[in-house]
Amino acid sequence: MAELLQRTLDFFGVDRANLMPAAAAVGILLLVFAGIGMVMYNEQAYREAKTQQVEAQSRILASTVTAALAFDDRKAASEYVKALAVDPQVQIAAVYDARGALFAAYSRGPNAVVPETVHIGARHTEGDALFVTVQVLQGSTPLGTVYMQTAIDPISRRFERYVVLALLVTMAALIFVVLGFAQRRLADANERLHKQGQDLAEANENLRAQIVQREDAESALRQVQKMEAMGQLTGGIAHDFNNLLQVIIGNLEVMQRRNLVGGDDAKRMVASALRGAQRAATLTQRLLAFARRQPLDPRPIDVNRLVTGMSELLHRTLGESITIETVLASGIWRAAADANQLENALLNLAVNARDAMSSGGRLTIETANTFLDEAYAQANEVEPGQYVLIAVSDTGTGMPSDVIAKAFEPFFTTKDVGKGSGLGLSQVYGFIRQSDGHAKIYSEPGEGTTIKLYLPRLITAGESREASPDVSAMTGSRGDRHVLVVEDDEDVRVHAVSILRELGYAVLEAPDAAIALRVLDADPNVELLFTDVGLPGGLSGRQLADEARRRHPNLAVLYTTGYARNAIVHQGRLDPGVELIPKPFTFGSLAAKVNAIFERRESVRQGPV
Amino acid sequence: MAREWRFARAVRGLVFGLRACISMLACTGVFAQGSSVEYAVKATYLYKFAPFVEWPAGTFDSPNDPFMLCVVGHDPVAVLVDQAVQGQQVAGHVIDVLHLAQVRRDARCHILYVATHGPAAAAALDSVRGLPVLTVTDAAPDPRARGIVNFIVQDNRVRFEIDPREASENHLVISSKLLNLAVEPSPKP
Repeated sequence: MAELLQRTLDFFGVDRANLMPAAAAVGILLLVFAGIGMVMYNEQAYREAKTQQVEAQSRILASTVTAALAFDDRKAASEYVKALAVDPQVQIAAVYDARGALFAAYSRGPNAVVPETVHIGARHTEGDALFVTVQVLQGSTPLGTVYMQTAIDPISRRFERYVVLALLVTMAALIFVVLGFAQRRLADANERLHKQGQDLAEANENLRAQIVQREDAESALRQVQKMEAMGQLTGGIAHDFNNLLQVIIGNLEVMQRRNLVGGDDAKRMVASALRGAQRAATLTQRLLAFARRQPLDPRPIDVNRLVTGMSELLHRTLGESITIETVLASGIWRAAADANQLENALLNLAVNARDAMSSGGRLTIETANTFLDEAYAQANEVEPGQYVLIAVSDTGTGMPSDVIAKAFEPFFTTKDVGKGSGLGLSQVYGFIRQSDGHAKIYSEPGEGTTIKLYLPRLITAGESREASPDVSAMTGSRGDRHVLVVEDDEDVRVHAVSILRELGYAVLEAPDAAIALRVLDADPNVELLFTDVGLPGGLSGRQLADEARRRHPNLAVLYTTGYARNAIVHQGRLDPGVELIPKPFTFGSLAAKVNAIFERRESVRQGPV
Repeated sequence: MAREWRFARAVRGLVFGLRACISMLACTGVFAQGSSVEYAVKATYLYKFAPFVEWPAGTFDSPNDPFMLCVVGHDPVAVLVDQAVQGQQVAGHVIDVLHLAQVRRDARCHILYVATHGPAAAAALDSVRGLPVLTVTDAAPDPRARGIVNFIVQDNRVRFEIDPREASENHLVISSKLLNLAVEPSPKP
């Protein structure tokens, strides 16, 4: 029923809100029509009644005048006729004999002209007058005709009667109008109320969405903070570990090099111990990476070239059952990152992907320019802005959300005992965070995994210099080159000194900054200051280096550290021109580093010539 | 009876002229007393009484029965009656005029015009007393010899007296309309 009404309204294009006014208008129209109808009906009924009344009068006259007509008694006929004068509306009353000749008549008024003859049956109205003729019969004998003319109420008089009706109609119409308007106002108010309710619901919905968003952000923040705390803890342990490993590895190397142990068994054991210690060093390196305490050497890199360059390595790592697909964006921005570490990270991801796709699959590496907006950045503790994206996707088993939440944590692994260290993804995470980037895991069980690495876009235009791998160690007579080793840990200092001496440098040593400065003052030939970053006694390695370079501007500086402190690392990056070798260093790595420094000094010195 | 018809035919020419005269003069309603117009009017009135009188049921055996207008005696009116009723009907019945020398009780008249005066008139009236017959006399001086309707001339107009008591004795109902036109009868002794 309601639907039918609605459809009817739609058909006429009437809005539901306009229904009442429309209904009121229709009602008023109906009222007016009804009023007009009533007036017309009344008018008709009045004429009918009047005609009947006059006819009745005529018939009465006709029946009373019969004898007078029959016996030619005009006097009597006149009396009968005049009797009708009591009706003030009677204008003419006349009697005609059987031959149609006037017999008796009464007339009143200026326009009452008695016709000389009359025809039976005439009955009509003319203006405000009504004419009736009736046959005079006695029994069935026709004796003559009665003719009557009466005034009917003038139209003005008649319409006076309808004034009341018109008033009623007008009042009803007014009531309709008032009702219609009231209804309209009510409908409007309802509409507003409804809208307000909707707005309120919308606001509530927004609020709820914001709450959810905030909860998400808080949870993300908590995760970030948790990682931070873990990073600090891990970093601290790793640092101490590094120093210990430095001693172990150093001594083992010395034992090997100088053949301090006799017998094959002993040699094998030393080699085995050295391997174990080096593996331990790799582990601590990864821990430091996660803790973002590893020294990085960020340079402008082209990630497309880097990924392309890795394809051979990836093929070898992943095996035949996994196809590799690279989707490289053209016009990719440059990013500043440590190329070695980035390769390391991608390799880690590839290894994880391989493990997730034991029965083969596809690894996709995509690069793209992208933008992290304010909201996303805030929830993930990253700076909003332009980023270079490297997305590594596999078609493997995927991860449930609780695994995703912990995937970046160190030592968290889903692999069997002994198969994974649990440090792969944490290295990736730490490296990316240290590079001011952002890492995100997207995965669902059975749907594969995508890990997205965001590296900040490098704005300053510069040549992309691929970090060239250091060449291996070289020995020779470098006795003219004086190196000052500053290290508070005596074991480490002895180890470093022994390596450098073995390399042929003239080595001086100092346990802290104060002594180091005195040594430097005493020997102006010192060309390289090799110092630990963390030093006791007031001055840090950085401060020592600054002071030393103030006194000897040509002095080269090489830092070593278990982890990079802010003293030399600004937000995880080395200042330009500062060299660093992370602990634990090996004979080869230290040799290469020092060698490179002196070569560079040489080329700089020769350059301007 | 054949003699009466012949007599009637003898006066037909005269009556024809009178009819035209009545037609013209009737509108004036005025004529000289004892004139032929007066007689013609009276002759016409005879059958005109019929619609105003109600005879008892069973007066007519069938709708085709004629309305009997009997005339007894001779006077100027009686001569004109045949002409006056020509072409007239009373409630669908043809009017037959019957001229009688004397009236018998079984005459079966509806209207009896007594065209005589004196004892003969009284005898005629007595013969139909109690029968449904409307008796009409013309200016009878003797109240006992007056019919139910008695013509008189008043102000040079033909008027009539009606005796309702006699009418009811003859089982007739006379319309009040007719009674209203009647002149108040002079009281009977």
